Amino acid sequence: MLLLLIILLPLLGFVFLGLFGKQLREPAPGVIASALAGLSFLLVLSGVLTGGGEWAIEDWLPGIPFGLVLDPLSGYMGLVVTGIGFLIHVYAIGYMHGDEGFSRFFAYLNFFIAMMMTLVLAGSYPVMFIGWEGVGLASFLLIGFWYTEKVNADSARKAFITNRIGDLGFLLGMALLYSLFGTLSIGELREAIETSTVLPLALGTAGLLLFVGAVGKSAQVPLMVWLPDAMAGPTPVSALIHAATMVTAGVYLIARSSFLYANLQDVSYVIAVIGILTAAYGALSALGQWDIKKIVAYSTISQLGYMFLAVGVGAYWIALFHVMTHAFYKALLFMASGSVIHALGGEQDVRKMGGLKKYLPRTHLHGLVGALSLAGFPLLAGFWSKDAIITATLAYPFGGTGFYLAGLAVALLTAVYAMRWYVLVFLGEYKGSGQPHEAPPVMTVPNDVLAVGAVFAGFLALPEPLWNLIEPYLAPALAHVEVHHMSLALEWGLIALSAVVALAGLYLGYLAFTRWALPKWYLTFQTWSANAFYVDRVYNALIVNPLKELALVLALFDGFLDTAYIALAGVSGWLGNRLARLQTGYVRTYGALMVLGLVAVLVWGVLR
Amino acid sequence: MSAFDLIAGVLLVASALAAVTLRNAVHAGLALVGNFLVLATVYFALEAQFLGWIQIIVYAGAVMVLFLFVIMLLFDARADIGLDPLPWMRPVGAALAAVFFLALAYAFSGIGPEHPLAEIKLAGGLPGPLGRLLYGPWLYVVLLIAVLLFAATVAAVVLVQPGVRGARKKPQVAERERELEEVGR
Amino acid sequence: MSYYLLLSALLFAIGLYGVLARRTAILIFMSIELMLNAANLAFVAFARNSGSLDGQAMALVVIALAAAEVAVGLGIIVAVFRARSSTSVDDLAELRG
Repeated sequence: MLLLLIILLPLLGFVFLGLFGKQLREPAPGVIASALAGLSFLLVLSGVLTGGGEWAIEDWLPGIPFGLVLDPLSGYMGLVVTGIGFLIHVYAIGYMHGDEGFSRFFAYLNFFIAMMMTLVLAGSYPVMFIGWEGVGLASFLLIGFWYTEKVNADSARKAFITNRIGDLGFLLGMALLYSLFGTLSIGELREAIETSTVLPLALGTAGLLLFVGAVGKSAQVPLMVWLPDAMAGPTPVSALIHAATMVTAGVYLIARSSFLYANLQDVSYVIAVIGILTAAYGALSALGQWDIKKIVAYSTISQLGYMFLAVGVGAYWIALFHVMTHAFYKALLFMASGSVIHALGGEQDVRKMGGLKKYLPRTHLHGLVGALSLAGFPLLAGFWSKDAIITATLAYPFGGTGFYLAGLAVALLTAVYAMRWYVLVFLGEYKGSGQPHEAPPVMTVPNDVLAVGAVFAGFLALPEPLWNLIEPYLAPALAHVEVHHMSLALEWGLIALSAVVALAGLYLGYLAFTRWALPKWYLTFQTWSANAFYVDRVYNALIVNPLKELALVLALFDGFLDTAYIALAGVSGWLGNRLARLQTGYVRTYGALMVLGLVAVLVWGVLR
Repeated sequence: MSAFDLIAGVLLVASALAAVTLRNAVHAGLALVGNFLVLATVYFALEAQFLGWIQIIVYAGAVMVLFLFVIMLLFDARADIGLDPLPWMRPVGAALAAVFFLALAYAFSGIGPEHPLAEIKLAGGLPGPLGRLLYGPWLYVVLLIAVLLFAATVAAVVLVQPGVRGARKKPQVAERERELEEVGR
Repeated sequence: MSYYLLLSALLFAIGLYGVLARRTAILIFMSIELMLNAANLAFVAFARNSGSLDGQAMALVVIALAAAEVAVGLGIIVAVFRARSSTSVDDLAELRG
């Protein structure tokens, strides 16, 4: 019952604010929504502390129960979602101040939390799919929140459609699993797979199809094109949905299905390759962006790639560790960007920023912490989790040295672009024309909390021989993988190497974007990067525009059909008109008609 | 076919045609009376004497008189005047009637007497034998007819109760009266 | 005998024409009477044919019926005439359309 409340409370907020929000004055809708999100967090916390639980409606669909389960994995994810969600709700009270869609925004945010918790708490794949689609819908509603601008509506549609492509994979994967095992309950599937000695051949296809779903939702290559456009939504949306929670749903799905992927070496390899490709693409594109939020967006794509790299090599708990630390520092980065945008009255181009260090001291601190954590500055949260991933590529069964070197290279790039972001926004001279003013406490206090997390969250899981709280906690819910532990000296040596790489990257970035004149080849690269390597144009030419043409042709046929139907209807109308003429009102015509009938019957009778 | 049949047939058809075509309603009524009288003689020839007398007394003597009475009461002697809204009805009606006759004629063509005529004993259709039939097998029918006549009487009385005098005339009716006056002038 | 039947059919057809072609209610009624008599003639001819008096009894019934019908019908015509001052059947065209 408790589990149901976790979902129902924000859902209630959605309904209530949706129906009556317009009649409430600011900041009431925001406070209500934040309170409900906070309540959800407390409920999850209490559930986790009391050891979890289950709740189900039997036979919701024929043979498939509607089940919710709070085990270590869903509890962990749930804490992240509701905790960060609560902080962002509070931040949004300040950010969305004065917007005429204030209550609608919070209704949608609450709806998102409800759907995300459905996804997280799901005990069977169909329930997770409900949450999956629900967060997609929430994302659509929130990206296109300011729908009067065409760009925003288009971005929302792009996100939804790209997601849908992934969802098809999810559905097909579910169907395949059902046909193989006759059940879609995660517990039962886990049992079936872990206890069977021979696995059906089609299992790999099922795993691949589920991964396609994750590719869509978590913006991996080739379905990552929607995430940068999703920045059209308000910043709290970008922070919550497109950094901390929704996009990590794909990682969560794979972790939940770890019992499946632990047995599929080839599919895991594909996952890891796509992960590292995405990481590289994100990092390279982030280097050239000029929009403050787009830099962070591509950074998200890159870090998501890291998470998929981790699940691909089999290090499920490490991916989830990175989910948590990433949630902290990425949300922090987005919200700091939001504070900057809010301070400058809407300016988002970094070329018009700079020198904001002295105008926005608190935000500057937040931005610095976020950037450093992202870059992997030693001892900060991002350092521990990213390093864990990189080392895992050598220790875990599906990894390899190639992954290690690529991961390390991308880490260097990450540090460089993180420093670039910081330098362009906060250092130097202010190049813009506005009057920057610091954000109100309702916006800075949540950021403070996030900053603390971005610094210290990494200490939850430290490498040997130090303590690791996360791995044993999550172990019962995840598949068991054989880890090839390296010697302590090697491990700490590699950690030191990562630290050096991160510091080098930060220094490089600092030099490159404050002192040096950038060489020609770099500027060409920068233009390419700024356009995200023209992926959108390629997709448009190859896929989108041909489909649009097809749609136009089909619409033409549709027009023909419509004309045909109307003509058909017209015939009956014409017929009716002609028949109505029979009703002349003259008795004699009726008499004549009767006689006609009489004669007809008589003749027919006579002729028989 | 005897001469009588022939003459009777000619008279019947002629009077019937007169009844349906004459423009003066009284003349048409009188033609119909003639038709009924000839019909009565035919009944006599067909050994239905009682029926023939009844035809004269009831039909020609009561029904047609009633008709003529009403015609004169309503000043309706001039029939079929004014614009005919359905001019096509005449030819179409004639055609339909013709087709009807032909079909029926074809159906009736093969029918002849079941027994040789000499053997048929209708007893002349006199009241005695007919009465025995009526009050025997046909009793219920006679009783029903009595009820029907009673109902008709009541209905007729009710229908001609004095209604709303001086009711507003409808525009078509007023127009019609104007037409009548014009033709009359 | 079929001669009389043919005659009856002819009279009936003439009456039919009269019903359709006449425009005054009374004359239509008269045509209906003509039709009834034609039917009577057929009955009597059949009675003669089959040697039973049933046909004549039926004809008698028809005559009684016709008398009742005339009474009521003329009553209706008079009532209608009182309301509309016209006996033309074409004026009763309110159910048009």
